[in-house]
Amino acid sequence: MTHGLTDAQFFDMVSRFLGPYYIALALMNGLAALYLWRSDQTKTWFRLPIPLTGKSLPITNVIGWLVFALLFTILAGIGGKSGGAQLLELPESWREAINTYTDPIWYSVITTVGLVVVYVFRGFFVKPAVAWIIWNLMWLFLGLSMTDSDFFEIVAKPDNVPIVMLVFLLAFFTWLGTYQAVINDRRKENGEPPMEKVNDEKVLVWPDLVYTELICMIALTAFLIFWAIALPAPLEEAASSVKTPNPSKAPWYFLGLQEMLVYYDPWMAGVVLPSLIVAGLMAVPYIDFNKAGNGYYTIKERQFSYIVFQFGFLEMWVTLIVLGTLLRGPNWNFFGPYEHWDAHKVEALNNVNLSEFFWEKMLGRSLPGTLALADISPSLDPSNWVIVPWLGRIVDPFLQFFSLLFGRELPGTLLVLGYFIALPPIMALTVFRKFYERMGFIRFMVMANLLLFMGSLPIKMLLRWIFDLKYLIAIPEYFFNF
Amino acid sequence: MAENKKMSVAEILAAARKADGGSSGEAEPPAEAAPVEAEAAPEAAAPETEAAEPATKPKPATGASGGRPSVAEMMAMARAEKGGGAKPAAPKPAPKAKPAAAAKPAAKKPAAAKKGPAEPRDTASILAAARKGNKPGPMSKSEAAAKAKDDPKGKAKAPIVVPPMPAKPAYAKPAAPAKAKGKKDEVDEGVRDFLWVGFAGLGAVTALWSLASLKFLFPNVRREPPSKFKVGFPDAYPAGQVQTKFKAQYGVWVANAEYNGQQQIYALKSVCTHLGCTPSWLEAEQKYKCPCHGSGFYKDGINFEGPAPRPLERCAIRIADDGQIEIDKSRTFQEEMGQWEDPACYVSV
Ligand code: FES
Repeated sequence: MTHGLTDAQFFDMVSRFLGPYYIALALMNGLAALYLWRSDQTKTWFRLPIPLTGKSLPITNVIGWLVFALLFTILAGIGGKSGGAQLLELPESWREAINTYTDPIWYSVITTVGLVVVYVFRGFFVKPAVAWIIWNLMWLFLGLSMTDSDFFEIVAKPDNVPIVMLVFLLAFFTWLGTYQAVINDRRKENGEPPMEKVNDEKVLVWPDLVYTELICMIALTAFLIFWAIALPAPLEEAASSVKTPNPSKAPWYFLGLQEMLVYYDPWMAGVVLPSLIVAGLMAVPYIDFNKAGNGYYTIKERQFSYIVFQFGFLEMWVTLIVLGTLLRGPNWNFFGPYEHWDAHKVEALNNVNLSEFFWEKMLGRSLPGTLALADISPSLDPSNWVIVPWLGRIVDPFLQFFSLLFGRELPGTLLVLGYFIALPPIMALTVFRKFYERMGFIRFMVMANLLLFMGSLPIKMLLRWIFDLKYLIAIPEYFFNF
Repeated sequence: MAENKKMSVAEILAAARKADGGSSGEAEPPAEAAPVEAEAAPEAAAPETEAAEPATKPKPATGASGGRPSVAEMMAMARAEKGGGAKPAAPKPAPKAKPAAAAKPAAKKPAAAKKGPAEPRDTASILAAARKGNKPGPMSKSEAAAKAKDDPKGKAKAPIVVPPMPAKPAYAKPAAPAKAKGKKDEVDEGVRDFLWVGFAGLGAVTALWSLASLKFLFPNVRREPPSKFKVGFPDAYPAGQVQTKFKAQYGVWVANAEYNGQQQIYALKSVCTHLGCTPSWLEAEQKYKCPCHGSGFYKDGINFEGPAPRPLERCAIRIADDGQIEIDKSRTFQEEMGQWEDPACYVSV
């Protein structure tokens, strides 16, 4: 989109976008201030003493948001002027820093730590004023980043617009849910019933719900039509079986799966894990024994479910979608958000299997081979079997497979078996003791295995990033890799 | 009880009908409750209908909200009867001996029930009413208002008397059928013909359409490259070079490189062994790189980065009689199976 544009032309284009953008943000803040003022929700943050008069001026949230609106108006004035976008760039050093901290390891560490911090201090982060400031900063960050042509290219691509919307919508809805949960938890502590139980006026399906749904349906259709007209779907060249576009990205909602495929065998990442996600979600009502939280928002009473869900959804699904959309470039390499998508970027990714690592690097010997019937004793060679040669031909592959599994791939096999067989009992005896007592053997085993499968993805990712590990068990001869 | 048992089925039916017709809708709330519960409470309904004389009837239980019992109360009563507990309305226990006979009057009841004061009878409102009665559940403001207003009204509702149907006047009787017979037949014929044409046309179009879709399965052009093809003479392949020009047409790279200490010309299939995307040869980095999940392969096809679990596959290659290199894509050789030792998969130079 920005190809063949001079800098001046590019900044002109961005200016045309930034002017309305900042005006919209200013309006958003102005309307918020107006709403708070008219609905009598003004809150005084602090009082500003006026010198000499001895009086003081109350600084309320309304005034705060008005100041924000003013700032955005000023930004609109600067950025909207042709070429003015140049003045609103993020400093080069910041962009550099952001680029370096969006490599896979930092990206995942930072998002994880960020989510944990937000979770632990949720009482602070859900305060409307705090949340509103963060919300504004998110938009401001987007606006400032737009002046970078590489960033602009990724974000403004019609394909990727839904991801940007997703980030903002998700932030909003997560806040909305958490906010109510925090309030309810606090009320519970004071012995009050949750908000939902206080004012639960009954509404009727018809007309209340059906009308709401109808209106939503119409509004959404209108929005989709508008979107389809405003941002035409990008068409690519005709499909060809011998040419794959570079990078080749799945539809955005599958980018998490595509990211998973980087770390796993297609059989694992394409079939086993996705079906386990579906099966696991279906098993939730069966596993869940906690009756609390029925019909109202709460976190305190459902900490375990909440954390597991948010980990699976926000961390493992959404972050991976965002990563796949914004940070994966040609040849499926990692690129920072302000980095040029260079198809020739070289990244040494020399991956080794655990078996190679173990036998060759640690023990300094070559990989053990396979075992066939003929190796055990020449008389067992299937070709010598006069009566049932086909039996030998059936037995042989099995023998080979298991000799690989427990021979060459022994370290990986032990690790995987240990992970899936030894860990659940240990979990039952230690951290999950209470769970085990309440759930019984089968339910607990189902839950433990689902949890372990969920955990296997980040573990595998970490192993890949830190040790360049390709597969724990690698038996490509039989399409069995883990 | 003993007399009851002796009644024949016919008698019971007669009694039931009498009770049906004779009682105003308001008179026997417990019996009306029965249809609500459907046939679930046949025994409950039966004794009630038999003992339909108003005199023997105990006072109908008054609802909390007004003169007549609410549906919820009726249901409660019906249930109590069924369970054999306290029976405010039916003093006698149900004769268990004839559930079949009893079921019939019960089934007939909906007609009687309709005569009662207008009260919503659909499942949803009955359930709602039932819940309202015995559970301090949520109630909308409009409901609360309606409830308050309803109370005085409910008592004084007169039974609706249906007047007899008047006799049909002459002009309302159906016209003599003989009159327009001939003409009508003509019209019918026309319509029938038209329908025939219509259906035949529809059938023809459908048939053509299915044929056309069948044709669709056999495309005009099938771009399926031949599995055997020639790629020129061996001296066109300088050592250390990967020829990419056959990739677009045939999906192979032809390379002249060293493998296991031997200089060979070989053909690699340009299909990633991970999920089957088409990698591209990067001259600068001297590797095949897959755009889908980032697998990388050395020049000889051995996988070294990304998720691809095994090396690229080689195709059969040989020097044809005319001295040109001939590649056969239908035979492939896999390194992990030790098949690259096969001289059919390379040309030594
Ligand atoms: S298809 Fe080539 S890396 Fe996945």
